[in-house]
Amino acid sequence: MAAPILIRGVSRRFGNSLALTPVSLEIQAGEFVALIGPSGCGKTTLLRIVADLEQPSTGEVRIGEETAAGARRKRMLGLVSQRPAVLPWNTAAADVAFTQKVAGRVGYPAAGLLREFGLGGHEGKRPGELSGGMLQRVNIASAIAHDPAVLLMDEPFSALDEMKREELGGWFDRELARRPKTVLFVTHHIDEAVLLADRLVVFSSSPGRVLDVVRVPVPRPRDPGFRRDPRFLETAAHVRRLLFGAEAAA
Amino acid sequence: MSGADAVRVPAEARWAGVLRAMAGPLLRGLLPVGSILGLWYLAILTSGLPAFVIPRPERVLETLVEDRAFIAFHLLSTLEVAALGLLVANVAGVGLAVLFDSLPFTRPLLMPAAITLRNVPYVALVSVLMLAIGDTTGSKVAVVALSGFFPVLVNTMQGLRAADTVLLDRMRILNAGWWETFRLVRLPFAVPSIVAAQQIAGTSSIIVAISAEWMISSEGLGYVINRAMQTYRGDQVYAVALIATGLSLVVYALVQRLGRWFDWRR
Repeated sequence: MAAPILIRGVSRRFGNSLALTPVSLEIQAGEFVALIGPSGCGKTTLLRIVADLEQPSTGEVRIGEETAAGARRKRMLGLVSQRPAVLPWNTAAADVAFTQKVAGRVGYPAAGLLREFGLGGHEGKRPGELSGGMLQRVNIASAIAHDPAVLLMDEPFSALDEMKREELGGWFDRELARRPKTVLFVTHHIDEAVLLADRLVVFSSSPGRVLDVVRVPVPRPRDPGFRRDPRFLETAAHVRRLLFGAEAAA
Repeated sequence: MSGADAVRVPAEARWAGVLRAMAGPLLRGLLPVGSILGLWYLAILTSGLPAFVIPRPERVLETLVEDRAFIAFHLLSTLEVAALGLLVANVAGVGLAVLFDSLPFTRPLLMPAAITLRNVPYVALVSVLMLAIGDTTGSKVAVVALSGFFPVLVNTMQGLRAADTVLLDRMRILNAGWWETFRLVRLPFAVPSIVAAQQIAGTSSIIVAISAEWMISSEGLGYVINRAMQTYRGDQVYAVALIATGLSLVVYALVQRLGRWFDWRR
């Protein structure tokens, strides 16, 4: 079951430097929101505050009826990092089971989940024996194995090459249709964000602040041909204009 | 001609293959022994030192056989001191590392004391222990433990910091407690470092135990060396040295084997 996220006046200060000016955002249950912007704009900081891995200097986060800490304590959150958090001694199946053991909850049976993630026949392989794309699939499978209501993803596909990233993005979009979650997704890639998200929160840096929130005018899951759709091109161009100015977008 | 005949290898060629396969490991094993023996005989021939200072290798082997009961008795005493010292070193070293990791404020409080203890000359330490608790197993175990605990402490501290931050985030997001995170992530990541510490502390425990016995004890291989020096029994000194070296190598090999078994990178 997906849960809504309410971010109210959240800011973050490191010493004298303001990393993130107050951000307020309402995310519906099951919505996919991408945080996009240049390095150092505070998008990862915001994600970590929602994950209760960092504390905000001001403001608060509510996930469903819970605070961020409460949601974490109730294991309502799943986290996918850029570097896979798969334990190096675990096989794919053991890693999924590891999440369930620690969380004390079996959301999706490991064997079925891996099979549906296209990892059938690879359950017994360790991270060193899997390709980058497969390893990231195991990483995502482990992150959702306990069926969290909210999935927090920090540049999950950025270590992959362009083709793999596109392939994995499409696959993930289809998977989400089967297992609805509220997703907060940090990325540098404009096309990836427009392809996957319902809304894009566009950040600028120094200090990090929200420039605009852009809605993608086509519901998910999207057809692979959406990349050539005028609405995709229009939305991507709008985000580019916001990030780089009119000249760069042209 | 049948298929089997076509691939049949003549017996001489098979034997030549077996010999070639055995020659490498055999040479690798014999060369170091041969070179040590060669240097030993060269020293005997050229140094002009008397036999009780530098006895012939065959005399040392005879001593090992003739005095086996005497040496075995003292060897057991040394092994007991080394093993107990190593155990205490590990309990103290790993325990302090875990304490520093879980309660960081204890590190500046206790680390200076650990560094000071590490840098106290063992001779002074042995003298103080001798005065405090006399010629007991406890005093020798304390010396071995003090020499071994610092590498265990430093390596374990380093190992506990080796776990990837994304894995620690994963545990935190799953609301895992300190003990669960320690047991399931941090400790396995620290194992290679703890094993590396055993290679230092384990092998040196034999040498340090012998040194402590040499200074304060009436038991153990160190005592045998001391007694042999006073009775001009260079052959016994060399016999003990041979045993100590062999033991250190055995401990090293054992630690490596055990380490491989525990190490998730194997």
